[in-house]
Amino acid sequence: MQEADLHDLSDDPDYAASQQQALGRSLYRSDSAKSTEMDSGGGGGSETVYVKDNVAIHPTQYASERISGRLLLVKRDSSLFMTWIPYKLSVGGTDSTGRSSNAGILEKDRKLYTIKDVPLADVHSIRRHTPTLGWQYIIVVLSSGLAFPPLYFYNGGVREFLATLKQHVFIVRSADDANVFLANDFQDPLQKSLSSLELPRVVSVANGATLHGSVGALSSVENSERRNGDMQIATSSSEYSGRNKHKLHDPARDISIQVLEKFSLVTKFARETTSHLFRENHNNDSSIHERKQLDHKPSSASTDTQKISSAPVAPDPLEFDKLPLIWGKQRQQPLDVKEWVCFLDAEGRITDSKALRKRIFYGGVEHSIRKEVWKFLLGYHPYDSTYAEREYLASVKKSEYEIIKSQWQSISPAQARRFTKFRERKGLIEKDVVRTDRSISFYDGDDNPNVAVLHDILLTYSFYNFDLGYCQGMSDLLSPIFYVMEDESESFWCFVELMERLGPNFNRDQSGMHSQLFALLKLVELLDTPLHNYFSKTECLNYFFCFRWLLIQFKREFEYEEVMRLWEVLWTHYLSEHLHLYICVAILKRYRQKIMGEEMDFDTLLKFINELSGRIRLGDILRDAEALCVCAGENGDACIPPGTPPSLPLETASLYPQQDQDDI
Amino acid sequence: MASRRRMLLKVIILGDSGVGKTSLMNQYVNRKFSNQYKATIGADFLTKEVQFEDRLFTLQIWDTAGQERFQSLGVAFYRGADCCVLVYDVNVAKSFDNLNNWREEFLVQASPSDPENFPFVVLGNKVDVEGGNSRVVSEKKAKAWCASKGNIPYFETSAKEGINVEAAFQCIAQNALKTEPEEEIYFPDTIDVAGSGRHQRSSGCEC
Ligand SMILES: Nc1nc2c(ncn2[C@@H]2O[C@H](COP(=O)(O)OP(=O)(O)OP(=O)(O)O)[C@@H](O)[C@H]2O)c(=O)[nH]1
Ligand SMILES: [Mg+2]
Repeated sequence: MQEADLHDLSDDPDYAASQQQALGRSLYRSDSAKSTEMDSGGGGGSETVYVKDNVAIHPTQYASERISGRLLLVKRDSSLFMTWIPYKLSVGGTDSTGRSSNAGILEKDRKLYTIKDVPLADVHSIRRHTPTLGWQYIIVVLSSGLAFPPLYFYNGGVREFLATLKQHVFIVRSADDANVFLANDFQDPLQKSLSSLELPRVVSVANGATLHGSVGALSSVENSERRNGDMQIATSSSEYSGRNKHKLHDPARDISIQVLEKFSLVTKFARETTSHLFRENHNNDSSIHERKQLDHKPSSASTDTQKISSAPVAPDPLEFDKLPLIWGKQRQQPLDVKEWVCFLDAEGRITDSKALRKRIFYGGVEHSIRKEVWKFLLGYHPYDSTYAEREYLASVKKSEYEIIKSQWQSISPAQARRFTKFRERKGLIEKDVVRTDRSISFYDGDDNPNVAVLHDILLTYSFYNFDLGYCQGMSDLLSPIFYVMEDESESFWCFVELMERLGPNFNRDQSGMHSQLFALLKLVELLDTPLHNYFSKTECLNYFFCFRWLLIQFKREFEYEEVMRLWEVLWTHYLSEHLHLYICVAILKRYRQKIMGEEMDFDTLLKFINELSGRIRLGDILRDAEALCVCAGENGDACIPPGTPPSLPLETASLYPQQDQDDI
Repeated sequence: MASRRRMLLKVIILGDSGVGKTSLMNQYVNRKFSNQYKATIGADFLTKEVQFEDRLFTLQIWDTAGQERFQSLGVAFYRGADCCVLVYDVNVAKSFDNLNNWREEFLVQASPSDPENFPFVVLGNKVDVEGGNSRVVSEKKAKAWCASKGNIPYFETSAKEGINVEAAFQCIAQNALKTEPEEEIYFPDTIDVAGSGRHQRSSGCEC
């Protein structure tokens, strides 16, 4: 039986990966070109001083997949080089787990992650992880601030690796952390202090020269990453204000986004380590640069938690922490019809969309007008459209919807029998719609027609966006939309708009989720350093306990009515398009005393967070989140990697063009 | 010395979306079935006190999302598992075919020190549906597969009717117990297993 094929059919293709195919190939080409050049240039005197088999990388988007390879230390002309070469597929026998699915993706990853002749002179430090459960791994951090994905030693041997290194290069154990080994510990303090700033900038100060030609395939990734980092520097300078727009229009973004997103995932752990490492050193040195900053802030006496020292408007996290979070403005009454019509001109245009969004941000919308207002908030109706235009749009879109819907409706039973993916998708949707909000009377009972509509919309969406397909969580997102719209076609198109923003949450490689979890980590670090340190100590930095919050925008955390209120506030994108991340921080901050006081471990924390469902006071949290968002300012923006959902769609093209190119 | 301490046994329930993992867990822990459970997002667990001979244990049962796309999360939850429960729906062939994937996925991500002997238990759920008339995976076929994977204990269950659920979890708990080393180490934080074999268990199930 074609196990791999079937397996693959059981879900949807990784469209991001398929998009990267071309890119991957070109990376490979340059890689191999470089390697030959290297080999011939290397000359005779090379000696392998260390070889370890079964050292693997886990590309995070398929944490289940590992790429096993061989790690080598080679001495050439008295310099030491590190190389990690993944095994060829045919040698895959060594991959004892025998996983054969997604071979194509692995093949690409293999090339992408190959580490070729990295001079040890470029290595800043090596962090060793010997977890109590699971495999040992190391993270190699380059002087540039770039780090390689963790290398897992499936056959052990980390100690031997470090011992060998010690014989050939100057490494010292970090005074702060016995698991950190610093190589070439004589960098200039300026670079160090720069490096200790926010991570995007860590990458941006990368010294390209040292990496050129040495990292093979990775160097192109690294370039695109750096390009992005530069952009971030620009954005953090004071002249800058419209950060998001800038971000979206950056031409480099188009080219680099896929690689960047992918790579930033892979290096998620590595990045954490990077920032951690740099910070440690930084604090140790108490560089002049930082001291000066500290002098300006008499309140930040305990220096170890103070790190955002360079930004002129940097809030002091400690100080902030002491203040009760009451800065958010008083919530207002929801926008009602009378007020709503005042926003419309004679022909139905919304003249001041910003004022409208602000109004909704502070009070939400009365239920009776949600049907109308949500269409604007979601971007389905342009703010400057007229009544007539919207009416026309509705009719056009209705027939468009019917056409897409008919695509699956016309699949005969005989055809379906030969269409595994369709059957499975349909089956998954059928199972999920009957598990969606059945406690709401709108969806309760047997054979509820509204449940059938959910099914039809979702299946139609999975044809409209065949690459993304259906994923659990989507039914949760659709449910309130249909509840409000009460119209199948209109709900579909509003859902489409929402998925333009949240689609990456459901990417098969989980890239959207990982970038949000990563941003959340950075935000907590910024806004509640003690809590961050606590999570770090308790190995909770993966933030998986917030997964459900983010995946479906707190849908399961609040009462139905509150969910609708929250969503319309989020959709205004008034203060930030990432307010939802500040809401996460706000909730965590509310319970930080309990979390730290009771010394919750990962399991306990997960359980605690899951059980918060239905117990969070939305109004308070919105105000906290507003305060945090304002307080974090540009530093907060800098915590959020570009492309983190929900990113605003561009005016013309989609932000995720790969999802839309071949609508079926 | 710690023989009186309560030990935590970690059990992971895996299987395709909709096979009834959440329902089984709730039936076992809370003795009830509801058709209003939501599709699982992320992960959750329930705990239950169990007694063997004269000792009390805390069974920590982890329920994760079944959709393949969420599998990469597993690594955070599978670690330190003492037993893995593989569930399929006897009425859905595909869910049975996927057991192998789930098993391997688990072994990769949980990386138990002795994968060959790591205890699994297989449950064929929803035997109640249409009085068994709609089932497509026979007991024989399921048992054959279990036998081929090192005699995995097998149960046919209905989370809805509460059939065989108690017995299945009894076996699950016993198997989880076997993975614990002789001298009891209090769970969870500081078991140093880097390299050393933690799971020394006798093979097979005696239930
Ligand atoms: N007839 C019958 N239905 C069941 C049984 N167990 C579960 N179900 C139903 O099957 C559907 C899925 O059950 P869940 O327990 O939510 O499935 P799950 O495996 O947790 O699914 P995910 O959370 O999506 O991974 C629900 O509609 C249940 O009511 C059973 O033993 N008999
Ligand atoms: Mg479930």
